[in-house]
Amino acid sequence: MMISAEALGAVVVVATAIATLAPFLLIALFIRDWKRGSLW
Amino acid sequence: MTIAEDVAILPEGIAWGLLIAFGILWVLLGWYLGRKNKTAEDHMLAGRNVGLALATATAMATWVTANTTMTAPQLALQLGVWGMFGYSLGALGLILFAPLARRIRELMPHGFTSGDFIRLRFGKFTWRVFLGVSLIYAFGWLVSLAMAGGVLINALAGIDYRVGMTVILTVCVLYTLLGGLRAVIGTDFVQTVIIVLGVAFIAWLTIDKVGFEAIHFNLMEERPELLNLLFPAAIMFLFNNLFFGVGEIFHSNVWWSRAFAFGRSVGFRAYLLAGLLWLPIPIVAGFVALATPALGINVPVADMVGPLVAAEILGLTGAIVVFIVVFAALASSLDSLLAATSDLVTRDIYRGHIRKRASDHEQFRATKVIVVLLGLVTWAAASYRGELPVIGSLAEVLYFTGAFVASAIWPVVAGLYWRRTNPTGAGLSMVAGTTLGLISYFTIGFYVAALVGAAVSLVVLVLSTWLAPRDFDWRLLAEAEPRSDAPVTRGAQ
Repeated sequence: MMISAEALGAVVVVATAIATLAPFLLIALFIRDWKRGSLW
Repeated sequence: MTIAEDVAILPEGIAWGLLIAFGILWVLLGWYLGRKNKTAEDHMLAGRNVGLALATATAMATWVTANTTMTAPQLALQLGVWGMFGYSLGALGLILFAPLARRIRELMPHGFTSGDFIRLRFGKFTWRVFLGVSLIYAFGWLVSLAMAGGVLINALAGIDYRVGMTVILTVCVLYTLLGGLRAVIGTDFVQTVIIVLGVAFIAWLTIDKVGFEAIHFNLMEERPELLNLLFPAAIMFLFNNLFFGVGEIFHSNVWWSRAFAFGRSVGFRAYLLAGLLWLPIPIVAGFVALATPALGINVPVADMVGPLVAAEILGLTGAIVVFIVVFAALASSLDSLLAATSDLVTRDIYRGHIRKRASDHEQFRATKVIVVLLGLVTWAAASYRGELPVIGSLAEVLYFTGAFVASAIWPVVAGLYWRRTNPTGAGLSMVAGTTLGLISYFTIGFYVAALVGAAVSLVVLVLSTWLAPRDFDWRLLAEAEPRSDAPVTRGAQ
C-alpha cells in the first residue's frame, strides 16, 4: 500500500507548519511568563 | 575513524568560527544565569519554580538530540515514510511522562533525584539495582553524544574527530559547571528555537525547490519501497523505538530532575506541550532525505543525507544552518545529561553511600567536581571509540542500553501508582529484565533488547506483587530529608 503524493504532501506540510510555529509559541510563552514574573 | 573528508560540506575555517562563537555564547549565558546560585538546590533544581516557556523548551531541546536531526533523515532514506513517522513516536515518551511528572511533584515536593524516589519507595536493594541501571544508561548516552559530536563535526567540516569531540564536551562541561540546571534550561530555550527554525527552514526550501510531485515520482521510479505503508522492517523498528523511548524518559534523572524543578502546576502541561511540539520534528527533518532521488544526490554515508540535501539546495548557507542546528542539538542534550547525572551521583552515591551527613555546601561543591569528572571520563571513553571492544558504533552504544532502560519502565510506573507493589520484586524485575534483554541483544539482535527487557520485567513485577503484596504510605515520599533508607511496609495483604 503506497502513500500518495497528496497524502505525503499533506502530512509534511502540516508537520512543517507546526514546527515553524513552535518557536514563536515558545517565545510568546516566554514573554508572558516574563511579564508575570514566573520565568523561574 | 574519520568519515571521508570529501563528504564534508563546510569549510573548516567557517566551522571553527561557528564553534568558537556559539561556544562562547553558551558559556557566557551559562555563567550569567547561574551567577546567583547559592545552594545545592539552586544549582541542581534551578529554584524549583521553572515556568511553562522554559520548561517546555528544555523538554523539547533535550529530546531533540543529534540523532533526531541526523538519524531521522537516515531512517527516512532506509525505512521510508515509516522511518520518519516511527521516529516521531518518540514524542509519546514525553506525552506519557506528563501525568507522571505531576504525580512526582505532588508526592515528592522536596525530592532531588529519581534515586531518592526509588530508595524511599523500594528500599536499598532496589535502589542500588536502579542506580546501576540508571548510571550505565547515562554513561552510555553521554559517551554516545560525545562520539556523535566528534563524528558529526568531522563529517560536516573535516575537523579531526577527537578535536571536535573535545571542543563540544569542554563547552558543555564549562557552562553546566558554571550555571547548573539554570544554565542548562536557559541555553536549552535558545537552542530549541535555533534547532526547530533551522530544520523547518530547510524543509520549506526543499518543498519549494523540489516539490512533492517530483519527490513522489522519483521515489516510485527508484525506491518505491520507501513509500510503502506496510514495510515490515519499518514497523518492527517503530515498536522497539517506542519502548526504548518510553524507558529512557521514565527512568532517567534527566526527566525526573525537571519534574522536581518545574513549578507546581507546570510539569504536566510542559511535558504534554513539549511532546506535541516535538512530534513533527522527525517528520520535518526526515522528509528532506526523500528528495535525494529527485535531486540526483549520491549518498556515500547514510547519516549524512540531511546535510547533503541542505547543501545541495542551499549551498554554503545550508551547510552553515545544518552545522549550527547540529551543534545546538548536541549541546542541548549533553548539558542536560551532565547536570542530571552529576545530581544522581552527588545525591545517591556521594551523599547516599560515601558521606551521608554531607552539608548543603559540601553537596554544592561535590556536584561541580562530579560534572568535571564525568566530562573527563566521558572524554576518555569517547576518545577510544572503536579501539575498545565494548565501545562500538553510536547505534551499538545506544541500543546496548535498551535492555537496561526498558526493564525500569514498570517498576517506576508501579512505584508511582500501585500502592501494593513488592519492593524486592521491583528490584528483581530490573535484574531479570536487563539480563534477558542483554541475552536477546547478543543472541537475537539489537531490535529486541528493549522489548524483551520490558516484557520480562513486567512479568516478574506482577508475579512478585501478586504472591507477596506490600502496603505503602505515600506520605513517606514527602519527607524533605528522609529519616530512614528502608521503605515502610505495613505487612503482606
